[in-house]
Amino acid sequence: MFVLKPQSGVPIYRQIRDQVRRLVASGQLAPGAELPSVRDLAVRHAVNPMTVSKAYSLLEAEGLLERNRGRPMTVASQARNSSHLSKRLQQVQPLVEQTVLAAKQLELSETDLLKSVRQNWENGDE
Amino acid sequence: MSTVARLVYSYFMCTPMTRALTLGGLALYVFSLYVMASWPQSEHMLAFAAAGQIALFLGSAMMPLMFGRIAQSKAMVLLPHGRLKLLFSALITVAIIAAPAGLVTPFAYVAGNSGKFSDLSKYPQLRDFTVNLGLVIYTSSCILAGWLYVAMWFLSSQRNMAGLAKGLLVIVFTLFLPAREIRELSGTIAWNLQALAVVWTIFGAGFLCWPRLRMVRAWWRLPDLLGTQTSARRTSGREVDLILGTRNPWLMIAALTLPLVIASRIGTGVPAVWLFFLTIFSTVTGAIAGQAAERSRALWLRRDWSRAEIFLQAERSFWRHNSVVLGVLLALMVMIGSYSGLPLNLLAAGIPLLVLGTVLSTYLGFMITRGIRWPEASLGIAIMLALMAIPLLLEAGNANLAVVCAIEGCLAVLAFILRSIARRRWEQIDWSQCRPAKVLSTRQA
Amino acid sequence: MNDMAVQASHLSKSFGPKRVIDDLSFEVSRGDVIGVLGKNGAGKTTLLELMLGFTPPSGGAVSVFGHASGQLPGGVKSRVGFVPQQDELLDQLSVADQLKVIASFYGAWDANLIERLCAEWRLDPKARIKSMSVGERQKLSILLAFGHRPDLLVLDEPVASLDPMARRQFLEQLVDASADGQRAIIFSSHIVSDIERLANRIWILKDGRLDWHGDLDSLKESVVRLHIRGAAQVLAGLSVPGALSQRHEGAFATVVVRDWTPARQHSIEESAAVEVEVESLGLEEIFLELHR
Repeated sequence: MFVLKPQSGVPIYRQIRDQVRRLVASGQLAPGAELPSVRDLAVRHAVNPMTVSKAYSLLEAEGLLERNRGRPMTVASQARNSSHLSKRLQQVQPLVEQTVLAAKQLELSETDLLKSVRQNWENGDE
Repeated sequence: MSTVARLVYSYFMCTPMTRALTLGGLALYVFSLYVMASWPQSEHMLAFAAAGQIALFLGSAMMPLMFGRIAQSKAMVLLPHGRLKLLFSALITVAIIAAPAGLVTPFAYVAGNSGKFSDLSKYPQLRDFTVNLGLVIYTSSCILAGWLYVAMWFLSSQRNMAGLAKGLLVIVFTLFLPAREIRELSGTIAWNLQALAVVWTIFGAGFLCWPRLRMVRAWWRLPDLLGTQTSARRTSGREVDLILGTRNPWLMIAALTLPLVIASRIGTGVPAVWLFFLTIFSTVTGAIAGQAAERSRALWLRRDWSRAEIFLQAERSFWRHNSVVLGVLLALMVMIGSYSGLPLNLLAAGIPLLVLGTVLSTYLGFMITRGIRWPEASLGIAIMLALMAIPLLLEAGNANLAVVCAIEGCLAVLAFILRSIARRRWEQIDWSQCRPAKVLSTRQA
Repeated sequence: MNDMAVQASHLSKSFGPKRVIDDLSFEVSRGDVIGVLGKNGAGKTTLLELMLGFTPPSGGAVSVFGHASGQLPGGVKSRVGFVPQQDELLDQLSVADQLKVIASFYGAWDANLIERLCAEWRLDPKARIKSMSVGERQKLSILLAFGHRPDLLVLDEPVASLDPMARRQFLEQLVDASADGQRAIIFSSHIVSDIERLANRIWILKDGRLDWHGDLDSLKESVVRLHIRGAAQVLAGLSVPGALSQRHEGAFATVVVRDWTPARQHSIEESAAVEVEVESLGLEEIFLELHR
């Protein structure tokens, strides 16, 4: 479900938080869906459980997740259930900006960039 | 050739201690030669020359260990003619080490008579005789040195009972057999050279072909007769002993018994010498006590013991072990002694001697909490000399009995002093400066 | 019950004239996983040995679960597990016997856990220790510290000789051990990626002092690389407080800073009329920059 890169500059708790937000916003995680327990997620990815716990707590504070006694966290029923294209596009907007800026600095053409995006899209499906 | 020269140089000069021994021994030897060549009736200088020779040998005592380590290193495979050069360096070291003993002969002869070196040129027969004698002694010393290096190799490379046993065996053989030969001056140059040639050819061939012979090594694994491998059943209740290395006193007894019996068969002709060797064997218990401090590190977090209590427990563990060894040694001494008809006073003096040897070496070993430094090393040498002097004094005559008792009394007091020093050191022990000297293979620093 | 697993104040240690540890003060709470980073010779092993009472401090004090490290009572010692850098295995024993020997020192020994881990980590109970590889010896050393389920686990370079798969298994086990938030784990390693995964607090030891001791997340948010775009003259004279390294080429400058806060971005942009872009760094890069 998650792709975690401990070596990236982005702290792990933020990676988890951002990915949960995206999954909920796109509808892949429906309200009531169960998330993996802190321990399971931590062992699966070999990361600190407190980091996972921190991410979950932040998401709970945001209202995205809700805690159930004795059972893993679930997606809150009042979670923003926006499948609107514009809202989802908003999530990737900063990344797109960065990529375009980098491409311009490297003097790549729009065609080159789009070709690279297409290649990554196809590889990512594997 | 420069590789070989560099190797030989490093054998003699690798650590500050070996450097001191080599240079000191050389200086002493040269000085005594000078005196012998210049003054008549100065043959007592021979003792100094002998001391210099021994110091020189001790200075090169690292040679077998270094030789072995280099031989097993991966770099050896890559150096062109590496094994050959290494072999040469060992040969040359033996040749160098034996030289002082041979060279001293003409000087000793001259010293014992007119004291003028020019005499030798005046009397060609005399010159030929001393040169011949010198060569005999030189070649015999080469053989002796070679075997002593083998003994050192066993002692220093395998820090366990098996190595100790092999080393002691070799020492006993080499010191007794040639000793008799030298006493009777029955050797000849030709015979010695042949012996040297045979031994070195076998060793050299084996060494150079070792990489290929290693494939057949499976054959050579001897069965585990001494029970050096332990099973759980035999260890329960004695885990502390396992950690300290005192689990099985019978290992040490086995290591000591064979050399002891052989020494007895050969040496009872001169009882004092036999007692002398027995004393040396009794100090062997100190060898494992020297590792006690570094091994006790494993007990700190595992047992509810303060550092002071760890000392007491270790002491108790070592006495459980040493009392068995001491008991067997004493029994052997009495049995063999009365069987060979040794004089009673020798036997009676022998008992406190063995006890002292064990006690002193054990507590000296306990004192080693920061590696062996000059105080511990010199104490050890002094104690060994005192212990070795006693049998020789006893041999010399009954008048010396008072001296012997005095020495033994002082040594007993020294034992108590060493114990309190060891105890104080253990109460302050800093384990980060007291690590086991294991060979770190691939771990990072 | 004291919640502080380890507490140190003004701890220092000198070997002769050389000051290896210089005035360290820190706290380790239960639930913390602390990664200790430092160059070779920075004093990591000495610090861990000081903490556990193997070596007495030259100055200051350190305590474990409320008791001074030099005089730990038996109850506290049985709550501590230590994996030293040089293993203390007895060569003549088999794996099973070595485990039994160590188990005999502790009242509560989790034999099931050990059995499961032996199988998972492929350690043959009948193998003789002297014939084992360095990696297997290391795995066994780690096991010996897990068996009595200690509340404080201290590991000195535990994975130096393990292959990546063995390292991952070990990390998973550590995660499992720390999952209930009741254990404190302190481990030193060269392998920054492992620390990055596992630790929530980082200690960076430099010349005997704690160059950084705090949350890993805060560290990543605090040491960042700035890509600054602006007029060349402005950039040439630009000085950013807390800069660790600065590179400037024409209209672009790259500055690595420490003690970064998001507010500083605006203040720099406004005061110098430049465009600032913030890049987060991985732990390895942070470590290298801090040691420049």
